[in-house]
Amino acid sequence: MTDEQLLSVSERWFRLLLRLYPSDFREELGFEVVETYRNRVRGILNRSGARGVAWLCLSALAHSVWNGFGEYLRPAASWRRAGDWGRDFELVRRRLVRSPVFVAATLSTLAVGLGAVAVVYTAVDKVLIERMAYRDPDNLYFVWRDQSASGGLKRDWLAGPHVADLQNTQGAIETAVGMQLSVPTLSLRPDGEPLQTLMVVTSPNLFDLLGVSPMLGRAFTANETGPGRPAIVVLSNATWKRLGGDPSVIGSQVWLSGSPYTVIGVMGPNFRFVRHSNVGPPQEPDVYVPFGFNLAAQDEQNPNLATYAALIRVRPGTSPERMAETVDAAARAATDRKRQATPVKLFPIRLKDDLVAPVRPILLSLALAGIFFVLVLTVNLSSLLLARAAEREREFAVSRALGANGSAVVRAMVIEGAVLGLIGGVAGAMAGSWGARMLVALAPLDLPRRSEIALDWSAAAVVIAVGLGLGVIAAAFPAAWASRTSIGTLLGTSGIRGAGASQRWRRGIVAAQIALTLMLLSAGGLVTRSLERLLAADPGFKPAGMLTFRVAMDPRLFPKTADAYAFQDRVEAALSALPGVGSASATAALPLTASGPQNSLWAWREKITIPGAPGNTGDPQRDSALVDIVTTRAGYTESMGMRILGGRSFEHSRADNVREALIDQHLAKQFFPTGTPIGASIAFSGKSLRIVGVVKQARLQNLHQDGLPQLFIRAEDWVRYMPVWVVKTAGEPKSLAPAVRRAVREIDARIPVSAVQTMDEIVNDALRQQRISSVLISGFALGALLLVAMGLFGMISGSVVRRRGELAIRVALGASNQRMLWLILGEGVLLVVMGMLIAIPGVYAAGRLIRGLLIEVSPWDPLTLAAVTFSLLFVTMAACYVPARRVLRIDPSPLLRQS
Amino acid sequence: MSTDRDRIDAYLPLRPVEFNILLSLATGERHGYGIIQEIEARDSSAVPDVGNLYRALARMVESGLIEAGQTADPRDERRNYYRITNRGLRVAKAEAQRLQTLLRAARIGGLLEKKAT
Repeated sequence: MTDEQLLSVSERWFRLLLRLYPSDFREELGFEVVETYRNRVRGILNRSGARGVAWLCLSALAHSVWNGFGEYLRPAASWRRAGDWGRDFELVRRRLVRSPVFVAATLSTLAVGLGAVAVVYTAVDKVLIERMAYRDPDNLYFVWRDQSASGGLKRDWLAGPHVADLQNTQGAIETAVGMQLSVPTLSLRPDGEPLQTLMVVTSPNLFDLLGVSPMLGRAFTANETGPGRPAIVVLSNATWKRLGGDPSVIGSQVWLSGSPYTVIGVMGPNFRFVRHSNVGPPQEPDVYVPFGFNLAAQDEQNPNLATYAALIRVRPGTSPERMAETVDAAARAATDRKRQATPVKLFPIRLKDDLVAPVRPILLSLALAGIFFVLVLTVNLSSLLLARAAEREREFAVSRALGANGSAVVRAMVIEGAVLGLIGGVAGAMAGSWGARMLVALAPLDLPRRSEIALDWSAAAVVIAVGLGLGVIAAAFPAAWASRTSIGTLLGTSGIRGAGASQRWRRGIVAAQIALTLMLLSAGGLVTRSLERLLAADPGFKPAGMLTFRVAMDPRLFPKTADAYAFQDRVEAALSALPGVGSASATAALPLTASGPQNSLWAWREKITIPGAPGNTGDPQRDSALVDIVTTRAGYTESMGMRILGGRSFEHSRADNVREALIDQHLAKQFFPTGTPIGASIAFSGKSLRIVGVVKQARLQNLHQDGLPQLFIRAEDWVRYMPVWVVKTAGEPKSLAPAVRRAVREIDARIPVSAVQTMDEIVNDALRQQRISSVLISGFALGALLLVAMGLFGMISGSVVRRRGELAIRVALGASNQRMLWLILGEGVLLVVMGMLIAIPGVYAAGRLIRGLLIEVSPWDPLTLAAVTFSLLFVTMAACYVPARRVLRIDPSPLLRQS
Repeated sequence: MSTDRDRIDAYLPLRPVEFNILLSLATGERHGYGIIQEIEARDSSAVPDVGNLYRALARMVESGLIEAGQTADPRDERRNYYRITNRGLRVAKAEAQRLQTLLRAARIGGLLEKKAT
């Protein structure tokens, strides 16, 4: 290419780039800009040749995009310049009062939209975010033991001496406490009606470490621990209320599993302590008791005694490295003391992270959905304001021609947006408070902590602030447009077509709205689809018609093993005799709640080997398996509706000298790729078990995926106390509850029945997070869809009205109805398609962001994405078609006569 | 007089492109391209994009730091030349002063070599 050609090509390029600037800038300075670019090109050609020119062209593109945008918005930013605010407000007020329909429509849209945001904000705030009303919660850490090197748990409990090591370590740790769980019964009299409780046995300084003090009475003192400690107890607020809520309870006695304890304190209603479990969801205790023994004196080699969770407070300002060092030092002390072959490995996790981690994906997704929805609302308001401004195009143009300054127009419009946004925000907060009450009343979801859901001041303030910001931003675009209106552009565009520049802005706005809505819809669709997957998942058992409950068998009541089994046999017989009951059995690990309080003490994980199994490789590490131990009575697999894949289940009669076991399909596959597992022996806890059957796993932790392999063992061989009972009935399981309570009370009145739940309730509980996010995100998406439909409807009907002159001519010239309809519809179709194209990267990004919430659904699931795209297409086309039909009613003769 | 001083301070700090424009106009009136050439001769890394330059020029004319005039050349009557105003000169001086103070601070802070004076 010759230099001359290069010069002319680049000149054309620069002229093209000028189109990115607003027209007044272009008209005033365009010629000079291109001229100067030409001179630049000449200069650069002489020095660095064609490559330099190419570089100039590219950088000019980037700069023009940025500058053009900035130049468009410059007048909107200039509203800050001083003006007569009082007069502006008065003008805005008058203008709004004069158009009540517009104001009502806008405010009701904002009220509903922002109200929805308020409800979601409140629900998320109250339901999903753990309150941590502790002193400096950021300095609190749980310490866990990593046993994975020896094939154990990644996050295991500590032994007593480990906690003592943490307490004795100098350095970053300010204080450390150990905690242990227990499930005693609680009663007000030795022979009173017992309540099942979850107890934390703890170091005495737990409350000091958290930085909280009891509402009534006092906390433990440092010396109230060890073998000679007084029998004292601190009650949680909920437990205190269950006992009657009497303030004089301090100093009185309660009975914990039959032993007297003196109540010294009651925690306040806002105190919630969440004791993180190492294998499952966090648990909230009912009573607190100090250790009755010395932690450091415990046998740390005995894995059965390693049942402590450690909580530490580090000194303020401790770096993560410094803290890791200190925890390592404690671990080294433990390793050195016993000269253990495998070193003790401890690691800290911030309390906040540990508790918030499970809900992080849903919080993130909901926040994003909320932001997108607010954006759609903003865009919607923006388009309404622009339509309103377009009606006053003439007025703007004339007043500018008469010397009104552009920034006055801008100021007036921004104030109008701000006033609308502010009132909308207040209305939204009010709507939100009603909405929250409605949500609680209707309870369409199985919401936990439902009673706490009420709009508070902080949520109201957030919503009002969002409304105000939204109003200002929404007004900025129409303001920028209005300030540029001049007689020249008005005369230039108000010809027969009548499409002003406002229309171009409005189309852009509607396209943006469609893009945002498609992103929201696809997110909602994907989350709903994964809920569907969850609902369809086969968890390995049949929850229908099953009632579950806890029967706490206090060891003190059953000193002899035989008594415990006799009691269980009588319970089973009584339950089976109830009308409508098909079968009854008991387990230590109920599916989906395996780590819940009722059985964390009886269900555990352990490593097993199967000597002589065909699947063994000879490598001891690979030939063992970490399994969930599920202890059950006979008939459990039948009551749960589990599938037996081979052999038989546990029967009521059994041989005395054989310990029976069932394995799940995973163990069968690992150890017996060939041959049958039936009859083989498992090495377990130093004893030998004989495999009598293979079952399909009944999922303990997740609905949608198998957990660790499972080993089922018989209650009679191992555990005296079967905490969880299951009853299968043909009828409505919940109606069985009173009969069940009566049956157990008749056998032994000292033993409480608690946590009566149907298996369906437990399954629903496991679906909770997915269900909430699905409902909320889909709600936002549908709201956005409605707003988009409204936006398109307004735009198309406006377009028909404005173009009636042109359309009348077309009709007069004989255009067919179909052609006319397409003329108008085409505009909408173009916008929808454009919006969808813009949304593609957004949909991709949204999919990535909510991936944590998706279960067995790809973020780019073609079926879901196609479905939401088509539904968007359908709704938007309907929104276009209705106003477009008006074009058919145009009667050309009067219109043409007029002009 | 203090109010006048405040008015000058309200312009500070200047954007680099604005300061560069004032610097090149301080020595005489120029066309847009002349400004670019002058900046390029001083420091080729500071040359602004043409669009950037004209945005800044328009902004500065509006705020009274510079003024635009028609060229005497009859061949291209649409081209403007730009001239620094009194206020522009004072703002440029104040900006230079500000930069000098910063430089001094940087030297004291050991970020720059101290120059023997």
